[in-house]
Parts: sequence; C-alpha cells; structure tokens
Amino acid sequence: MTPLLNAFACLLALGCALFLWREKSSPYRNGALLAGFLLLFGVFTYFGAADSLVTDPSLEHYPFRMLALCLCFSTTSLPLYRRRYLVLAQVLWLWIELFGGIALYYRGFDVAWTRIAAIAGLALGSTFLSRISREMEFCLMVLWLAVWVFF
Amino acid sequence: MFRALMIAGLALFLPGACALGYSVFQGPSSWMTDAHTFWGTPISLFVFWIGLAHAGTLLSAVFLALDIRLDRRTALIAELSTLVSLAIAAVFPLMHLGVIENFYMVAPLLDARGNIANVRSPLVWDFCCIAVYAVLSLLFFATHLKARSYPALDMFRKPMAWLLFPLVLWVHTVVSLDFAATFVPEWRGAFFPVYFIAGAIFSGLALVNLLLCTEGYRVRLLERLQLICSWILCAIWIWDYMLKGSFCTSAFVFAGVLPQFRMVSAIRENKWGRVAISLSILLGLFLERQFLVSPEFGSPASSSLGWVDWGLLAFSAGAFVLLFWGIQYSLKRFMEVDGSYFGEVDGSDMAEVEEAELRDSPVVYGVEKSKKGFYVHPWSSEEYYVLRLPLLVGFAVTIAFMFWAIERLPFENVEFSLAHVVPLLYPLIALVAVIVLYARAYFVQKVFALHRLEKIVAAALLVLAGACAGTFYAGGSSEGSADARKSASEFGDLDLVGAAWNARCATCHGTDGKFNEKFVREFYPVPQKLDLQRVDSLGVDSLVNVVLNGRGNMNPYAGRLTYDEARALVNYMRSLAVRDSAVAASAAGKQEVANDSTP
Repeated sequence: MTPLLNAFACLLALGCALFLWREKSSPYRNGALLAGFLLLFGVFTYFGAADSLVTDPSLEHYPFRMLALCLCFSTTSLPLYRRRYLVLAQVLWLWIELFGGIALYYRGFDVAWTRIAAIAGLALGSTFLSRISREMEFCLMVLWLAVWVFF
Repeated sequence: MFRALMIAGLALFLPGACALGYSVFQGPSSWMTDAHTFWGTPISLFVFWIGLAHAGTLLSAVFLALDIRLDRRTALIAELSTLVSLAIAAVFPLMHLGVIENFYMVAPLLDARGNIANVRSPLVWDFCCIAVYAVLSLLFFATHLKARSYPALDMFRKPMAWLLFPLVLWVHTVVSLDFAATFVPEWRGAFFPVYFIAGAIFSGLALVNLLLCTEGYRVRLLERLQLICSWILCAIWIWDYMLKGSFCTSAFVFAGVLPQFRMVSAIRENKWGRVAISLSILLGLFLERQFLVSPEFGSPASSSLGWVDWGLLAFSAGAFVLLFWGIQYSLKRFMEVDGSYFGEVDGSDMAEVEEAELRDSPVVYGVEKSKKGFYVHPWSSEEYYVLRLPLLVGFAVTIAFMFWAIERLPFENVEFSLAHVVPLLYPLIALVAVIVLYARAYFVQKVFALHRLEKIVAAALLVLAGACAGTFYAGGSSEGSADARKSASEFGDLDLVGAAWNARCATCHGTDGKFNEKFVREFYPVPQKLDLQRVDSLGVDSLVNVVLNGRGNMNPYAGRLTYDEARALVNYMRSLAVRDSAVAASAAGKQEVANDSTP
C-alpha cells in the first residue's frame, strides 16, 4: 500500500463515518452500512494493494483497521453517551492493532508498538474528556488521522 | 416440553456417547483429520462450543454494561448457556490430545512434568484465559441468582459486567491466535480475532434465540442483531476469499443466505420458522469451523465426515440439551420472575405491561437515562468506585507476577518479549480484581451470606486454586523416573541414550530426529530440519549449549541433564541424521540407476 493510498484510506473511512448513526436510523440501516463499509474497505485494500496483498501480511487486517477508524470518526457525531462510545471505538481499534500485531509477530514481523501506544494513550486520554466541544472533536479527528498516517 | 426435551437429548446423547467411547478407544484415526494440519473434528467442536460459550455471557454483560435492558430471565438463560457450553467444549481438547490422562500437561505448571510449559504458546494462553473466564462466568451467574435473596448483590453485577466485557473478547481472541500464530497458509490472518468474535457472537445469538423459542417467547432485539451479524460475517467471508481464495459454500448457504428469510414476515412470525433459522445458523457455523480447522474439508482429496464425527456432534448437542434443561429445571425457583419480559412476547399483551412498568420504574435505562438529563463526570461512575480498589490490586499483582516470572529459570534463558506475555495480562488482572471484589463484599461489607453447601463449594474452589498456584510456584518435580535416572548414569550405552532421547526429546524432535510435526506445529512455527549438514554446521559444542541453556523454541535443560548427558544426546541426534542421510543417498542412487536404465 503506497503512502498516498494509505492517506486516501483514511479519508474514505472519514467519508463513510458520515453515514453512520444518523438520527432515528434503524439498527438494520446501521448494520447494513457497517457490513457494506467492511466490504468496501476490503475491495479497496484488494485493488489498492495489488500484488502486495500476498507479500505483505500487514494488509490482512487493513479493512478492519479502516472500519475501526471509521467507527472512531463516527462516534464524534453521536448525540448521547459520546465519551463512552468514543473510548470503546478506540479500544476496538487498539484491539485490532494489538492482536493483529501479535499474530504477525509469530510470523516474523515487528509489532507496531508506537502505533499501539499512541492509540492506547488517546483512548486513555479520552476517558478524561468532559462535555466534548466541537473543537475537541476536531482535535481528536486530527490526532486519529496523524496516528493512521504517521505511525 | 421438559420431558420432550429430555427424550430428545437422550436420543442424541446415547448414540453420541458410543461414538465418543469408540473414538477415545481408537484414537485420532477414528475421526476426520486434516492431512495437512493434523487437526480434526474434536478441535472444530471445541472452537464451535467455545464460541457459543462466549456469546451468552457477552450478551448479558455487554447489555448490562451499556445500559441496554435485557430481562432477568433472558439474561440468566444466556449466562447458563455459556456455562454449559464451556463444560461441553472442555471435553474436546482432551480427546484431541489423545492421551486423556495427561490432560494436565496443557496447564502451565512450569516444570511439573519435566518439560517446561511454553509460555509463548497460544495454547497455554488459551488454557489460562478459558479457565479464568469459566470461573468469572460462574460467579456472574451465581451473583445473578443470589441477587434475588440478597438485592444488595445487584450493585456488583454491573462492575462484574465491565470486567467480563473485555475478558470475553480477550479470551476468544486468544482462541483465534491458536490459528493465526501458526504457519499454516490457510490460517494466516491478522484479522482472525475480529473474525472469531463475529462468528462467536453470531452463533451465540442463534443459540440464545433458539433457547428462547423453547421457552415460548422472543426478544426481537436479539433477532435483529442476529440478522445484522449475518451480514457482517458474510463481509468477512468475502474478505477471506479475496485474501486466500478459500470459501466454505455450505457455511455461506446455511449461515449467510438462509438467515435472510427472517425478512419474510410469515417465517419471522412463526415459531418454527425462527427455530429453523437458528438451527440453520448453528449448522452453518459448525461447518464453517470444520472448514477452518480442516482446510481440505469438502475437497475431493479430503475424507468426509464419518459416523464418529456426526456421533461426536450428536454427543455434544445431546449433552447440552440434558445439562442445560437439567440445571434450569433444578434452578427453576431461582430463575423464574414475576416481571415482564423485555421485547414483545408472543401472543400476549406483555409489551404494554412492560411499557407501563418502564414508565413507573424509578430505574432508567440507556437513552432514557440521558433524556432525563443524566450525566456522569469522567471517572466518577458507580462502577468505577466499586472497581477502583480491586483493579488496583489486580494491576499490582499482575506486575509482581511479571517480575517474578521473568526472573524464573525457565524464562531467563528464553527469548521472552512483551508480545509473548500480553495475552495473559488481562485475565490475571480480572481474576484478582474479582477475588478482591467478592472478598470485600463478603468479609468487609457483609453484603451476602453463604449457605453451608455454598461454603463447601467456595472452600473447595479456593483449595483447588491454592493447589494450582502452589504447583505453579513449586514447579513440581524435575526428577526423572528410576529408569530414566539409570539410563542417565549409564550413558555410554547407545540404547540407553536412545531411551533417554525417546523420553526427553522425541516429543518435539520425533523418535527418528525428523520432528514430531504434529506436535511442533501446534506449539511453534516449525523450525528448520536438523539434517546432517545442519547438525555439522552448528557443531556438537554449540548444540550441547543449546540443550543446556535453550534457544529460540528449545527449552533449557540445565539442571535436569548433565553436560555429558547433553553431549551424548547430541551425538545420538547426529547418529540419527547420519542414518537419515544414508537412507536419502541410497534412495537417490536407486532413482539415478532407474533413470539411467530408462530408454
């Protein structure tokens, strides 16, 4: 995956997040969207990675990482229980990165400890957030983007 | 209904028990085993049942933690299904081991079996995590039951749910690592943790919905979630296909396509329609686990499921029916409630009763809570105050354990990184936290009392835990048997060295020195073959050093083997390599002659 496509993946996740948890949307709509996004991210990874899908095992959980990032973005627009779900979405991302990394570690790849530590730090920091302002939402999104692109 | 279920359970269980007995007597040759991975039906059934075991408590704990209302009876059914599924899942790894009486070898008892547990193995993590999960699920269920007599106990359920929520995800993730951390191409998948969790939740929802059908009511929320899970799992299967080109059509049909019939109201509103959908999902997910464990399953080259395999499936299903309804019947008076059920109950006006109850209830749930202006400041929820001290103790004990473990002899010569030990951390924290939580509730806060029988059970559990901890700490005996000691003292005799090789080394290296691949594959990535060229390039001195001090996947044997014994074993290994090399050269010569004689 080239750095440009990696950055585009991030934007794609951000774009998809707009459609989740709309007011008065049914669980079916949100469930179908989640499954559809996962499929979309899978197709994106498949075509974006081209031949490196076989040679680069770190792409095995790439669509799931995109989905976790998408969920993180989507929680900023929740009307209720925002802090709780914001933390849970980041923990999901952390979990995918950590255990995906451990699975790869056994096949000779290094665990991305910096990325994991950054997400863990963000998740822990988010638990201290009180009422989340628009500025803080923006700040969080920038931090997630930075973790995705730079780590 | 109860009698009909018991008869159905017996009808499945009795022939299944015959298949189980036959397969224990006959060993792995009796069931379908994948020629490539060496795993077969018992492991498929283990993964299947452990998935079901994770979903019950997960649903109950997650709903409780996230303020989603689930009525007491449904939650109890889900929790009980977890415990029964766990008991059934425990049977199958024993069968897979082949040597049932040596079951304790899976436990990480350091040196108790003269063969140090590999703390880097997902199988060892698996054992620890599932054991902790079983204890905590039992406590969660018992708390729920006992809260009826001691309402103050209810305040511990939500903190427990917050401990169980990550634990259940953690444990099933570790189960997925049994596969993902291997070199089998079909199991390469850093996404396996998510995949396994999605499969477990889906199968667990199907099981709970099926159980609710037999109880005569339904929870629409769980049915909706079941349908949504089918979409997500289909997306994961498609990704798996894009990645590896493998696809289990039968699982897709049974667990992916047929559940979509829930969208047809005639089927959805019919009890038998819902039963059929749930059964279809369970069958589909069993086939999917079979396909996962045995990647050649379904291909023309693979053997198909025989009567023993179906018998084992029948045994597990029958045992579940008998155990679940047997326990539920005996606990009937604790499980039944007068209140309404959450989610529209079939053919009654219970939904209206429920609405009235909700309107009048002082307790508010989920969204309603926020609508009423409810707001919790960071780090100030009730659960946090209850869990603060227990979690602190849990963290402290885990850190102390880590320092102690790293200082231990078995670990100090072994490459030991954070990635190897992370999977054990949270279960240990959760276990200690729960012990502290309940000890404080019983001894300090005196929230509940135990009956005589409960005291006996609690004391027995504590003694068992103490014995395990003691054995773990002491490490058991490293002394070999009298025969082994004799062989060690007379190491000049090649036959005796061979006997020592077979006793000490053959488990991994094989009696012929060419690796016992079935065993090694399960525990480690398969290392390089120790052929003559490699043995000579490493040198005897270097290999003696590896035997005594360990390296990579090899555990250290200093203290259990003398230098001379280690040297004799290395020489014996070289003699096996020489023999193998001679056989290979002879075979190559014959092939050359045959090629030359071909016109």
